[in-house]
Amino acid sequence: MATTTASITLASSDLVSGMAMNYYKTATLNKAGTNTGLEKIQTGTREYLATGAVELLDESVVTTSGANKVYVKNLSTDATEYFEIAIQSEVLGRLYAGDWMFIPWSAGTSNNITVNPSVATSMKIEYVVVHE
Amino acid sequence: MATTTAAFTLSSSDISSSPLSKSTTATLTKAGTTTGLEQTSGMSRRILKATETSIADLISTTPEFTYTADKANKVYICNSSADSTDYVTVTIHAEEIGRLYVGDWMFMPWSASDSSSDIRITAASTHTNAVTLDYMVIGEGNAA
Repeated sequence: MATTTASITLASSDLVSGMAMNYYKTATLNKAGTNTGLEKIQTGTREYLATGAVELLDESVVTTSGANKVYVKNLSTDATEYFEIAIQSEVLGRLYAGDWMFIPWSAGTSNNITVNPSVATSMKIEYVVVHE
Repeated sequence: MATTTAAFTLSSSDISSSPLSKSTTATLTKAGTTTGLEQTSGMSRRILKATETSIADLISTTPEFTYTADKANKVYICNSSADSTDYVTVTIHAEEIGRLYVGDWMFMPWSASDSSSDIRITAASTHTNAVTLDYMVIGEGNAA
């Protein structure tokens, strides 16, 4: 059994006046409904030279309705560049340069994760999937 | 201009033959700029009673939030419950994103593009205890 942890810190001294924010949370990534750690992982980096939605992750590679987790980061350094992230046809949001996301992924039928780069000039993305 | 950061660490010594150690920090800025996001819901808590198993709005695009569509909004959600078998299913519109088991958290961009972009949650039909969810939106307001 593997032990994998994912942590987040959200911090700001001035988002709300007079109330500094410093939230920290860590999670041990377990299989669905158990205390057994997730044991499989995929990592990668991709470069896109054209706009248009393309598949980043196919649902068939992980267990449906499991406790799968996905991390994605936009490696661009140009603040105007973003990836539009969607599951099947539903847009979650835009990852601008340097932004990252970490989500659970049910990977049900056709629940592929797609990305759509905002420009066709070599945008890069990195990802990690930890799954059952 | 506010400065807000979101730091992430993913680590494991034994999930592969090489240790996994991924860390990154993003400064949360308005779409296409280096200007910090200035609007937040603050950290909020929602408790679903054991009898609540129907789908329900957690984060809405309705006017009280006024987050600008297709910008750089961010959403954090954590299942802070205690029973390890309980989970909530997180959906956007009719699309299931995934399941947050106890202790799991998520952080994602949110387009909030129209009323169908509400983020909704459904507690597992088998849950026998209250489910506690902590959540926060950091984003761009209409006036920003």
